[in-house]
Amino acid sequence: MKKKPAPLRRSMFMRLGFNFYDVAVTIFCVAFGLLCFYPLWYCLVASVMPYEEYVKGGLMLWFKGIDLQYYIQIFSTKVYTNSLLVSAVKTVLATALSVLVTSAMAYAVSKVHIRGMKLINALVVFNLFFAGGLIPQYMLYKSLHLTGNFWVMVLPGTLNISYFIIMRNYFSFSVSRELEDAAMIDGCNEVGIFFRIVMPLSRGMIAAVTLFIAVINWNDYYNYMMFIGNKTKLQPFAWVLHRMLTDKSLMNQVRNGAASLGFTLPPPMALRMATIICATLPIVIIYPFIQPYFTKGMTLGAVKE
Amino acid sequence: MHNPPDASGVRSQRTWLQKLLAFLKRYWFLYLLVLPGFVFMIVFNYGPMYGIQLAFKDYHANLGIWGSPWVGLEHFREMIADANFWRAAKNTLIINGYNIVFKTTFTIFLALMLNELRLKKVKSCVQTAAYLPYFLSWVIFAGLVQVFLEYPSSSGSSGGVINQVITFFGGEPINFLTRPDLFRAIVVISNIIKNAGYGTIVYLASMSTINPALYEAAKMDGSNRLQMMLHITIPAILPTIVILLILDLSSLFSANFDQIYNLYNNYVLSTGDVLSTYIYRISLGGGTSFELSTAINLVLQVLGLIVVLITNKFVSKLDIMGIF
Repeated sequence: MKKKPAPLRRSMFMRLGFNFYDVAVTIFCVAFGLLCFYPLWYCLVASVMPYEEYVKGGLMLWFKGIDLQYYIQIFSTKVYTNSLLVSAVKTVLATALSVLVTSAMAYAVSKVHIRGMKLINALVVFNLFFAGGLIPQYMLYKSLHLTGNFWVMVLPGTLNISYFIIMRNYFSFSVSRELEDAAMIDGCNEVGIFFRIVMPLSRGMIAAVTLFIAVINWNDYYNYMMFIGNKTKLQPFAWVLHRMLTDKSLMNQVRNGAASLGFTLPPPMALRMATIICATLPIVIIYPFIQPYFTKGMTLGAVKE
Repeated sequence: MHNPPDASGVRSQRTWLQKLLAFLKRYWFLYLLVLPGFVFMIVFNYGPMYGIQLAFKDYHANLGIWGSPWVGLEHFREMIADANFWRAAKNTLIINGYNIVFKTTFTIFLALMLNELRLKKVKSCVQTAAYLPYFLSWVIFAGLVQVFLEYPSSSGSSGGVINQVITFFGGEPINFLTRPDLFRAIVVISNIIKNAGYGTIVYLASMSTINPALYEAAKMDGSNRLQMMLHITIPAILPTIVILLILDLSSLFSANFDQIYNLYNNYVLSTGDVLSTYIYRISLGGGTSFELSTAINLVLQVLGLIVVLITNKFVSKLDIMGIF
């Protein structure tokens, strides 16, 4: 009687075709997936944990009550709300400009049979490997009156070289020449081909590239740090997060603000985790929309047709 | 060279002009599409190259870049005599070398494992989780590293998860973030967690093109899954591995600024300071050696360019589209 379930279970395993090898593979993959996911999950759970539970520490595997006090505290600090606004405006402007300019140029340059396009392509790609460097950049921006200016976070990255290459390859492989030739015979000119054939066909790719570039712009703090420096009015959210991790004065400002609102003095790590979640949230929201394009985008840039 | 005055010469000139006009009439729109990008490229990508001459000059703000006196190779001599430069150069090569070796090996292994994973639902969940960190910035990642590796403080905090686990098992907590001997390991591991998942995409795409008949035939011959992986899958993706390895090699001198800047601190400069962070610290990040910074950057760029040109030769020999 006792032995009866055992053969049944084995036969079920066999029907699924599962053996030790599969178990090892599955455990490894799931472990890596958890390793990637758990740090963010930990921050999310810990940052909404009520204070008495939070100070006990632990692995923070599941919620024990939800308390949004740290979020209330950081959002009642003006630095935070202001930087979110700066990041939002900067991301929208820089992304729109970058996608328009880069995709238009990539489309034209993909037509290598037209005089000059090969040269322009070489000029663009060369920049991937050779640039002036930090100080020459600084000198240039200074002479253009861009240092300390909001636009230094928008303009310099307008031509995105990596996505230029990906889009160029997409246009030269995916939009068929026969279709364009047929349109040409029907009396369509280059303007018509671009707006009536190429753009509608590439809508999905351009939407994906837009989201990819938006993520880059949301994460960017480099131009602020190098060329604006200490104008707190212009700092993007990524920079506020960096300061929360390294700069005691901002941390004290937030904690004292919380105390003046009547909260108990919050632990610095909890405030940091709440900030991390705020910086991550927009990316997690658009993540499902870009995921279907991963394989396409990566392989278009890398593999010959 | 010279315009022949006879009638045939005039005619050929006119047809040349007519040709040009006809060409422009047909293609003007494409040149118009190039124009904005071209202007941005000239201003923001080629514009800074004018300032590279600072590497050979003694910069005085009141004289401007052009007016400052030339000093020849002085800043390069200064660079060679600078111990901190050599320290940063060594760290750059070691960290990038570790990153290439360990990240590539791990990425290939992960891709093979994902390819062997037969539960489709589990596979897509793991992929979703593993691709996500690629989109988070290094600032966020540095925050996560800090949260997990925090050292217990005297003010009552019990420290990050890792130290809590160590103390739970009776060990002494480790101050990870201030230990120079652990910094490179933290850099490499965090780089693997952030980027390995996304790196598998190319390998998985290349595995999906393998003809299933090969596996069927191997099954008939009685080979097990491990043997199939070793003798079918790995040989089939070998070209992809070689190309990506070569492309990775070209990043041996690359900047890596974002990762290091967000993870390092004053305690770990001896093993963690790389050239890009050094270039920043001696110039805009507190120092005043603008010319030395430009000179080091120039050397770095030239070395990087040489490596890229060599590797691109290899890649184009392999009959795969190079980047040019």
